[in-house]
Amino acid sequence: MNANGRIEAACSFLLQSPPGEINDVLNDVRNIISDDDSLHEGVLPALKEYNLTQFMTVDVPGTDHQSIISEAGRVEATEGGQERFIDPRSKTTFLFDHLSLEASDSQPAEPDADSEPFRAALEKATLTYLEAHFHDGVASIFSVKQTTNQFIIQIVANKYNPSNYWAGRWRSEYTIDLNEHTVDGKVFANVHYYEQGNVQLSTTHTISLSLPAAIVTSSPGSSASKILALIENEEGKYQTSLNDTYQEMGEKTFKGLRRALPLTRQKIDWDKVLGYKLGAELASSKGMFGGS
Amino acid sequence: MGDLVDSMLDLMRRLPPTRTEENVTALIGICPEYADDLLGSVDQPLKLRTDRATGKEYLACDYNRDGESYRSPWSNEYDPPLDDGTIPTPKLRKLEIAANEAFDTYREMYYEGGASSVYLWDLDDGGFAGVVLLKKTMTPNSAYEPSGSWDSIHVFETVERGRQAHYKLTSTVMLQLVTRKGSDGETDAAEKGNGNGSKSGTKHEGEVSLSGSMTRQTEQDWPILDSSSHITNTGRMVEEMEIKMRGLLQEVYFGKTRDIVYDLRSVEDLASERRQRELQKELVGRLGKR
Repeated sequence: MNANGRIEAACSFLLQSPPGEINDVLNDVRNIISDDDSLHEGVLPALKEYNLTQFMTVDVPGTDHQSIISEAGRVEATEGGQERFIDPRSKTTFLFDHLSLEASDSQPAEPDADSEPFRAALEKATLTYLEAHFHDGVASIFSVKQTTNQFIIQIVANKYNPSNYWAGRWRSEYTIDLNEHTVDGKVFANVHYYEQGNVQLSTTHTISLSLPAAIVTSSPGSSASKILALIENEEGKYQTSLNDTYQEMGEKTFKGLRRALPLTRQKIDWDKVLGYKLGAELASSKGMFGGS
Repeated sequence: MGDLVDSMLDLMRRLPPTRTEENVTALIGICPEYADDLLGSVDQPLKLRTDRATGKEYLACDYNRDGESYRSPWSNEYDPPLDDGTIPTPKLRKLEIAANEAFDTYREMYYEGGASSVYLWDLDDGGFAGVVLLKKTMTPNSAYEPSGSWDSIHVFETVERGRQAHYKLTSTVMLQLVTRKGSDGETDAAEKGNGNGSKSGTKHEGEVSLSGSMTRQTEQDWPILDSSSHITNTGRMVEEMEIKMRGLLQEVYFGKTRDIVYDLRSVEDLASERRQRELQKELVGRLGKR
């Protein structure tokens, strides 16, 4: 495999990293490729893609909160290969290093006067929702660039527990369009449990809602809390349905692949299996295995 | 360079089990000189092939491979044909035929479909070894039917000691379950009339994929009367092991992933729970002061 192929493979491994394990995967890849110089340069686009799509969180300089690194918060201008992201909550932008995952060089950012009242109202309602339903959640609410009536809510919750061999991540993203009266959402859950094994859960769920006109025309504060009430309801229903899916998988799909016990509800009588298969002239296996 | 292989194995333990084949191929591409180490330590989904002589399906893996050809347990022939392909001694082949028939019955009773294959080979120290392979795939007939696959690989070694035989069994199960769901909300019809031209009602679409691989080992001694005892003995051990691993996957592993989702997000309102707890503390505190 040539150098390009190796970098491509390394990038693919990184993008498959389970929650919280990107550094472990990077260390393995570093050992396997054993060419740090070309690796660093080569995998930077993959690290960037991973951070943006996985809603990496960062401590915002000069604040006591975190914000989400994602495409929605990327500020157009880049300086010396580094990228600048906005934290609308503190009205600042900062440089973000995709390798060290650190923010620096905080600058004030003036929000768009027309969209800020509604964005701020959505932020307030989302943070209340976050407190109510997420353990260790982080949320960022963005006004969509160059529009006044579109907003993006992003939520991420991570739990990493390497000493007990598990990690999980919940991501949700909602695009609210006040012109079209719609909310389009995506929810992803990823879990890795690897104590003496490798078990992974990966879910995707999309939601499309239409907003009643009454919600859109009320004041930003009341409109935002009604939108969050809809989201709360949808996510609650989704989580409950996920539980049902587990039940179904256990009872139907799993059984369809391999039964817990044969139809006879007894383990196999191997002496009979052997005797029968080795030369008996029985026409059918009925009654061979006791019971039924 | 043992630590290089360790890094590869650590990587495989972290990346999604659904992409094992693709990732092993990529690793071999990067380090061709470690292909044997990797193929020998990472189990991959079994490939289904059809015996040209009998039309029966069999499973292909590293244990029935010679060069680019695979030996069928039913006809004992290699495909593509090989003149000098490795085959078991006549005595061991006789046992292999019986084992294939016995595990075919086992397969039918537990899997009600799928495919099985058993391959045996002699060991230098006088004993012999073998592998029992089972695979079942569920293909959905429509978009919202569940799909999935089960692969199990049981490698054993046995040495006879008088009227006893000692068995060492290493079992790997690879499992994948996928459920797709989609629905149009009940408000759909009600909202059609408002004519705002935008999307109406509530729509959902989603997929849940649970996948896993795990390996367990056991060593046991069993009595032997004749060579066919090896089939009943390994049969009991494989059956016991599969029951144990199936139970672990369903109850422990899959249950744990669900619990972790609830550790991320709570259906109940945490804020009101917190308030209630604080209120309780306050009350207890006040009572204490009186």
